[in-house]
Amino acid sequence: MKKILLACLIAGTANAAEIPIEGTVQSQCLINTDKPGVYGSPNAYTLSTTPADGGVVPIVRYDVTLADAYTARITYPTDFSSSPSLSDSVTWTGSVTVDEVSSVDMADYQTDSTTYDQTREYVLSATGATWFAVSSTATYGGGSNKAFPGGTYRAVVVAECIAN
Amino acid sequence: MHRKLALLLLLAFPAYGHQMVPSHPVLKQSHVSGILKTELELFNKRKDVEYYELGVFDADWNPIPFVSAYKVAHVRYLGHLKFDVYIRQDDKDRAEYVCSKSKLRGDSTGTLLASRICSKLQQ
Repeated sequence: MKKILLACLIAGTANAAEIPIEGTVQSQCLINTDKPGVYGSPNAYTLSTTPADGGVVPIVRYDVTLADAYTARITYPTDFSSSPSLSDSVTWTGSVTVDEVSSVDMADYQTDSTTYDQTREYVLSATGATWFAVSSTATYGGGSNKAFPGGTYRAVVVAECIAN
Repeated sequence: MHRKLALLLLLAFPAYGHQMVPSHPVLKQSHVSGILKTELELFNKRKDVEYYELGVFDADWNPIPFVSAYKVAHVRYLGHLKFDVYIRQDDKDRAEYVCSKSKLRGDSTGTLLASRICSKLQQ
């Protein structure tokens, strides 16, 4: 009987398998949509992500694991990626701002940032997460405030993380 | 010990969204004379994206010819993809960045996010 038990134990041991789990830690930059945006329509000729206009400002999060190794570039939209047919021009305004930071070392990100055209550029000089708010407003009619045609409107925020 | 530390760090900094590593890949001689290669890995934690467009660029963001198994790579949600990028030896000094850019689906809703991550090539 003891021999049988011993045999079972040996067989059980032989069947046990070690399953390795490996991970590599290396510097990296992650881009994530924390909150998708929504256009509100405060009047017939305006679409806006401003909460007071019924919109939702999209939030983009950057996670970096190495300081001074990456530059973030974020561009607010200047056209619709899909929309009903538009016969008149659309005027775009927008902004990119630091919404939240995970470290006090990021406190100057907004003041230290540079901007050109619709793009704002941030040197990610600290490790951790940074949340950026990207607001945009589209006005139809080239100053004559024409009503947007009915339908679904989509626009694209471009978020880039470039290794320095 | 090192493995435990690595796992701990991975858990402490969970990966979300669009990720490409390494950030500073090194160009090496490939098995073909005059052709250099480097290896990268994409990780897709974006539910709204399944395809990433690859590109190689110089310092002024002009495209540089390259060869890879993918120009547009299919990476399922939570999927990893290892890929090689080959460039000519003649382009070694010009090639600065290898980039991956998310390709958005037409049926996505709301304001969309196109993410682009660029690794800087080490000479």
